[in-house]
Amino acid sequence: MLNIFDLKKNYGDTEVLKNITIRIDDGEVVCIIGPSGSGKSTFLRCLNLLEVPTSGKIYYNGSILDEDLDSKRMRREVGMVFQKFNLFPMFTVLKNIMYAPIHVKKMKKKDAEILAHSLLKKVGLDNKANAYPMQLSGGQQQRVAIARALAMQPKLLLFDEPTSALDPELVGEVLNVMRDLKKDGMSMVVVTHEMGFARDVSDRVVFMDKGYIVEEGCPADIFNHPKEERTQRFLNRVLGGM
Amino acid sequence: MDNLLSQLHFATVGQYLVPSLIDGVGIVLEATFFGFILATIVGVFIAVGRLFGWKPIKIFLYVFLEIIRGTPLLVQLVYIYYVVPLIINLLAGMLGYKTDMQIAPLTAGIAGLAINYGCYMSEVVRAGIIAVDKGQMEAALVLGFGKYEALFRIVMPQALRSIIPSLGNYLVMMIKDTSLLAYVAVNELLLRTQTYASQTFYTIEAYSYLAIAYLILSVPLSHCVKFIEYKLSSSSR
Ligand SMILES: Nc1ncnc2c1ncn2[C@@H]1O[C@H](COP(=O)(O)OP(=O)(O)OP(=O)(O)O)[C@@H](O)[C@H]1O
Ligand SMILES: [Mg+2]
Repeated sequence: MLNIFDLKKNYGDTEVLKNITIRIDDGEVVCIIGPSGSGKSTFLRCLNLLEVPTSGKIYYNGSILDEDLDSKRMRREVGMVFQKFNLFPMFTVLKNIMYAPIHVKKMKKKDAEILAHSLLKKVGLDNKANAYPMQLSGGQQQRVAIARALAMQPKLLLFDEPTSALDPELVGEVLNVMRDLKKDGMSMVVVTHEMGFARDVSDRVVFMDKGYIVEEGCPADIFNHPKEERTQRFLNRVLGGM
Repeated sequence: MDNLLSQLHFATVGQYLVPSLIDGVGIVLEATFFGFILATIVGVFIAVGRLFGWKPIKIFLYVFLEIIRGTPLLVQLVYIYYVVPLIINLLAGMLGYKTDMQIAPLTAGIAGLAINYGCYMSEVVRAGIIAVDKGQMEAALVLGFGKYEALFRIVMPQALRSIIPSLGNYLVMMIKDTSLLAYVAVNELLLRTQTYASQTFYTIEAYSYLAIAYLILSVPLSHCVKFIEYKLSSSSR
């Protein structure tokens, strides 16, 4: 689905991403973990060209991505969910979800509405269709944001710390929705600090530090037998209490 | 006091000047209406160009802005009305065409107001766009909207809440600044008053009526603007 070769990203003189090479397969759930400032968000944002890589190549389904030509087309197929939800505050929940299908995909309003309701049901918020984002809890907003992304029927979903802005008691409802997506076979790349989720749900865990992919592998290997010392130290620190 | 008033002729002056001023209000409103709409369009274009445009366009707009903000509106009006036609005629002459182009006074006035106010208003629009959370633009982009679609569908409507009140203040300023159009032969309130006063020497009365006319125009308008501002800030969503 995605092939990334030798991706680099600099901000001025600081190299934030250094020689990232990785493959994301169809139907795969990849979790990216790592300390703050290691470049996880930057990497994720390079995947849909929200940030323009300094160098390197990204192949999407076999064809190379060029910033100007393809970002719009590609973004119709690759959804993204943000830490801070970024719902459109002036629209109702329903309109948030219907908006892109109607205006980007030129879907008929009736069809978009049916789709939006079915997605709201899927994320357990069918009763909130006419509420405004401000009237919802963080967890509910994030579930709407997921529904909004799903409305474009993406082939891949990117998540940037989808639960980091949530009160602890609301984290579960969002993670459950994401677990359901995995069951449906959705391909996902998830930047997360939720180690439990990474261990249980992902097919592959990628550990990033200081702009490098230090180690990647199946969750059991990474969590139980990390090869790299840096991975061990990071896991000891974040799993210290577990 | 009694003595002073008895020396003035407000009633006489009013009989002639007030109807003339009322006539002139139409021109003031016309200049303000079109001037303001065009200024808003100019302001949005400059703001968007400076934020999202191609690098040379950004530089061009910045220089243009400096020129307009560095010169008085009155000079710009005079320039548009008297100088621009001369330049065009001169250039046409060099190409072998004989032209005698002129710009209608009101057209020149509206153009001057639109350009001058557009530049100042562009800063308001720009600040309003910048103030909207960057995540809104990104959310629209990742749904497949283009940059300008995202801007005008998602970001602008949110920016308007902070833009509209400040633009309202420019509207009130503009209605008063239409008095400058007198210098490019627009027969608005000031020119009418000047003409009348210089013929009759009822200077005190004539200009007092003029001042009152502007008060009647601008005070209600500025209260409308304040009301809209209040409405926008109290409806929080
Ligand atoms: N627009 C920018 N300009 C300059 N530096 C930036 C910019 N965005 C990110 N950085 C720097 O790049 C580095 C990586 O940032 P990034 O947000 O990708 O890290 P992260 O792994 O997502 O961290 P966190 O867990 O805190 O979200 C940081 O050192 C950050 O300061
Ligand atoms: Mg981050």
